[in-house]
Amino acid sequence: MKSIVRQPAIFAVGFVASFFLGFAALAQTPSDSSAKLDWLSYAKRLGHSFEPRPRGCFCDEDCYAAMLERQKSQPRFRLQNPPLKFKAEPAGSKSDNDIRAIDLEGLKKVLQRDPNDKRPLLLNFWATWCDPCREEFPDLVKLDADYKDKGLNFIAVSLDDITDIKSEVPKFLNQMKATMPVVLLNVNDPEPAIKVVDPTWDGQLPATFLYDKEGKVVFKHFGKIKPDELRAAIDKEIKK
Amino acid sequence: MKKYALPLFLGAVLIVAFAAIAGSGRNASDLPLPPAIGTMIDDFTLPDADGASHSLASLKGKNGTVVIFIATKCPISNGYNDRMEKVFEDYKAKGINVIGINSNSTEPAAEVKSHAAEKGLKFTILKDDGNKIADRLGATRTPEVYLLDAKGKLAYHGRIDNSQKAEGITSNDLRDALDQVIAGKAVTKTDGAAFGCSIKRVS
Repeated sequence: MKSIVRQPAIFAVGFVASFFLGFAALAQTPSDSSAKLDWLSYAKRLGHSFEPRPRGCFCDEDCYAAMLERQKSQPRFRLQNPPLKFKAEPAGSKSDNDIRAIDLEGLKKVLQRDPNDKRPLLLNFWATWCDPCREEFPDLVKLDADYKDKGLNFIAVSLDDITDIKSEVPKFLNQMKATMPVVLLNVNDPEPAIKVVDPTWDGQLPATFLYDKEGKVVFKHFGKIKPDELRAAIDKEIKK
Repeated sequence: MKKYALPLFLGAVLIVAFAAIAGSGRNASDLPLPPAIGTMIDDFTLPDADGASHSLASLKGKNGTVVIFIATKCPISNGYNDRMEKVFEDYKAKGINVIGINSNSTEPAAEVKSHAAEKGLKFTILKDDGNKIADRLGATRTPEVYLLDAKGKLAYHGRIDNSQKAEGITSNDLRDALDQVIAGKAVTKTDGAAFGCSIKRVS
């Protein structure tokens, strides 16, 4: 060992390597714990929740396996609804990121409503392959523009295939200049989803449902909407 | 006359309120409702894509008949082409016949014929001009199935299976109903909801 280190070239390599290792070790340790705390409280103020951080433990193999499982299901930090947008979007355009895929549980959440949201809710079920849905969409875009600021919560639920979430669906919405929130229902079996919305619905598209502030259906229509009828029903709810 | 004014007014209010309540309970769809399970389906006659007339009675299977509303352009219906043809092939020997009906006003007979040839659909496809049979059966979308038992009573109505993608099938509703009809048993699941393309009716 002594004889190796005495050679100047190897000493130089070792010196440089330890220099780098030192830097790497420094980068690993938090330089200022107070700064980190500030960042955390700032993020919490923005409304982001953090999953509990899994702790290391000295234990046997079973315990270690359990810890690995826990780590898989609990990522260290999970930033929900990231506040940063990296792409500037022209007004009135629908970026791919805006269309969220939901499953049956997600649909149930949409139907259960946020108890603090006292707006009437309008749901329109549609798909790009459904011709009457495409035909009625311009009326829905107009309706969204007219009622957005009057206290209507309008969500369009796409039944397109999940593989179209970045292609056909945003392409059509851009053509329509649609700005209402759009979710894509991604379920293998549609029946539980159809029945959770309305037991009398057989899946005919388009289908439109208006719920009052308490979440009760006050208007529903299967097939292409008649804009005047729907607007009258919305007006009635908004005035309540 | 004045003393009747108040009761008359109250009466009018009651009538209007009653009409409003009755009106709110009406069918949310503009289309006729399908017949209930167990209803006898009346015979009808329609031409095929070549113009030859066929009655339901002449096409019915010994043990039952599957009537499917189909389309040439609908991606959902087209996704089921192979599965519909397979049901026709698999159940032919079991005394079941499959009939397709195209009620779309946007898809003429010539298109129905070339589509069937291209997609390898060998079961009889009838052209329902003016969507009369779609109206009578309350059909709204493609594909939509009506299974009639040996006597011609509606035994099952709705989807073919639970998944648009063949690899995701976990509930083979039509085949399960067919097996029960052939065995002379009561069908346990008599309907199945699914999304499909709307039938393009004449306006």
